Amino acid sequence: MSIRFIRFISSRWTRLVLVASVVLGFQTTLFNDLRPFGVMAQVMVLFAACAGVIYGAEIGAVAGLIVGLMYDCVLTTPLGLASLVLGATALVAGAFPYFVRESSWWNKAIAVAVASAFGEILFPVAQALVGLGGWVQWRVIGVALIVTLLNLFLASLLMPVVRWTLKESLVG
Amino acid sequence: MSAISARRKRAIALLSLTSIILVTLDLQGSGSASVLRGTFGVFFRPIEGVTRVITRPVSNAWHGITHYNAVTKENDLLREKIAQQEGAAVAAAASVRLSQELLALNGLPTLAGINSVSAQVIGDSPSNYSQSVEINQGSDSGIKVGMPVMNAAGLVGKITKVFPRRSIVMLITDPEYALSVKVINNPEAASPIGDPEASASTSSTTTTTTTIPKPQATSNIPGFTPGTTTMPLTTVNVTVNVPSLTPTLTVPANGALPVRETGILEGRGSSRVPIVRFIDSAQRFGTILPGAPIVTSGGSLSLAPPDIVVGTVSKVTDRLGTAGPILEINLVADLTNLSFVRILLYQPITEQVKP
Repeated sequence: MSIRFIRFISSRWTRLVLVASVVLGFQTTLFNDLRPFGVMAQVMVLFAACAGVIYGAEIGAVAGLIVGLMYDCVLTTPLGLASLVLGATALVAGAFPYFVRESSWWNKAIAVAVASAFGEILFPVAQALVGLGGWVQWRVIGVALIVTLLNLFLASLLMPVVRWTLKESLVG
Repeated sequence: MSAISARRKRAIALLSLTSIILVTLDLQGSGSASVLRGTFGVFFRPIEGVTRVITRPVSNAWHGITHYNAVTKENDLLREKIAQQEGAAVAAAASVRLSQELLALNGLPTLAGINSVSAQVIGDSPSNYSQSVEINQGSDSGIKVGMPVMNAAGLVGKITKVFPRRSIVMLITDPEYALSVKVINNPEAASPIGDPEASASTSSTTTTTTTIPKPQATSNIPGFTPGTTTMPLTTVNVTVNVPSLTPTLTVPANGALPVRETGILEGRGSSRVPIVRFIDSAQRFGTILPGAPIVTSGGSLSLAPPDIVVGTVSKVTDRLGTAGPILEINLVADLTNLSFVRILLYQPITEQVKP
C-alpha cells in the first residue's frame, strides 16, 4: 500500500498537477496583468505545446487534457472546452518529434510557438462550435500572432520545467 | 512498450470523453460543473494568492514602465474634470433627489429603492476570449446570478457565476451579453440653434407667461423654452420680460419633447464597441443623432431596472427597409479600468430559479 502510494506521489502525472497549479497561478496573476499590445501570454497553451514537442503526441495529449481541465476551472467558458483545445494543441505539437529527429532548442521553440498559435486560434473556434459565437473575428489572427511571439520567447524558459515535470523517473 | 502505449491511448480517450461530457453538462446548466470549479478553487486560491504576492513587484514595474506617461496625463485631465464637475454635481444631486421623490410619490420604481452591495474587482478573466471580471463579494452578501453591476459612471455588466465570497461579472462588451435599452432621442426640430451664451443668460430669467415657442427653438437645450418670450408677429409685436418670484409653467411644444424608443444592446468583444439593434424606424422617433443617451429600459423581463445610464450613441448606421438603424455605443463606464463596482440586489424574473 505504501509503495503504491509512493509510486503515485512520485509519478509524472502527480508532478504535472502540482507544477501546472503553479503555472496556472502565474497565468491568472502575472500574465493576466502584463498584456503587451492588449494580448495575454498563454502559458497554459505553452505548457501543453511544450509537452507535445518534448515528449511526443501521446504524453503531450494526456498532459494537455489534464492541464486544460485545470485551466477550465478558472475560466468562464464551459468546463472541458479548454481541456479539449489544449489536448488538441499538444497532439499537434506532438507531431514535431516525428518530423525532426535531432532537434536543437530553437527548433523546438519555433515548433512550440507555432503550436501555440494553433491552440490560440482553435479556442474561439471551439467556443463557436458549442454555441458561444461572436469571438471568431479578424482580431483572432492578431492575437495568435502576438501569442506566437510571446511564446517563442517564453518557450526556452518553460521547456526545461516541462522536461523535468514529465520525466518518467526522477532518479537517474 | 505497446502495453504502455495502449494504456495512454485509453487515457486520452477517457479524458477527451470526460471533457465532452463536462462541456455538455455545463452548457445544460448542471450544478456539477460549479461544484468541480468550487472544489478546485479551494485548493487553487492559496496558490494563486502566494503567486500574486510574489509577482506583484514585477507587475508594478511593468505598469510603471508602460503606463507612466498615460497615468500622468490622465491625472491632469481628471483634476481639470473634477474642478468642472464639482459645481454641476451639487445641482445634479438635487435634481436626482427631486426626481426620486416625484417617482416615489407616484409609486414608480426608482434605483434608490433597490438595495446594493459594493465590491472590489479582484481579477480579470485569464483568457483573450472572455470579457469578465471577478469581484470579492458573493452569495454570502446576497448576490445572485443575473443581478446588474454598475460603477459610478453607469452599467458595467451582470453577475453570471456566484460563489460564497466571490462572483464573476460578465461585462457589457462580451458577445454573450444582450440587454433591453432605451434610446432617448431629441427630434430634429430641437437640434442646437443659437449661441450658448444667449441660452445661459435666458435660463436664469423667470417669466409669468405660458410660453408657446415658434417652430425654430431659441435655445440649445432641447425641450426647454427660455424665459424671454418673443410673441409671434401676427399677434403682439412686443417682447415681454417680467422677472417674478412666482413659479414658471413652461410647456414645450410636442415636437420638442424627448422621444424614447427601445432596442437591444449587444456586446461585440473587447476590440469593438457594443451596438443597439431593433430600433424602430418610426417617423415619430426622428433621426437619431450621435450623443443621444442610452439607458436601460427596465420591465419585468429586463435584466436591469429602468434608467441606469449605459452610454451615448457614437455612430448611426442606417439600413434599408424596416430594419431600423444600428447604433454604435460609447459606454460611460470605463471597463478597462474597473476598481470598485456596485451590485444592485435586483434579480430579474428571467434569472430567478424556479422551485
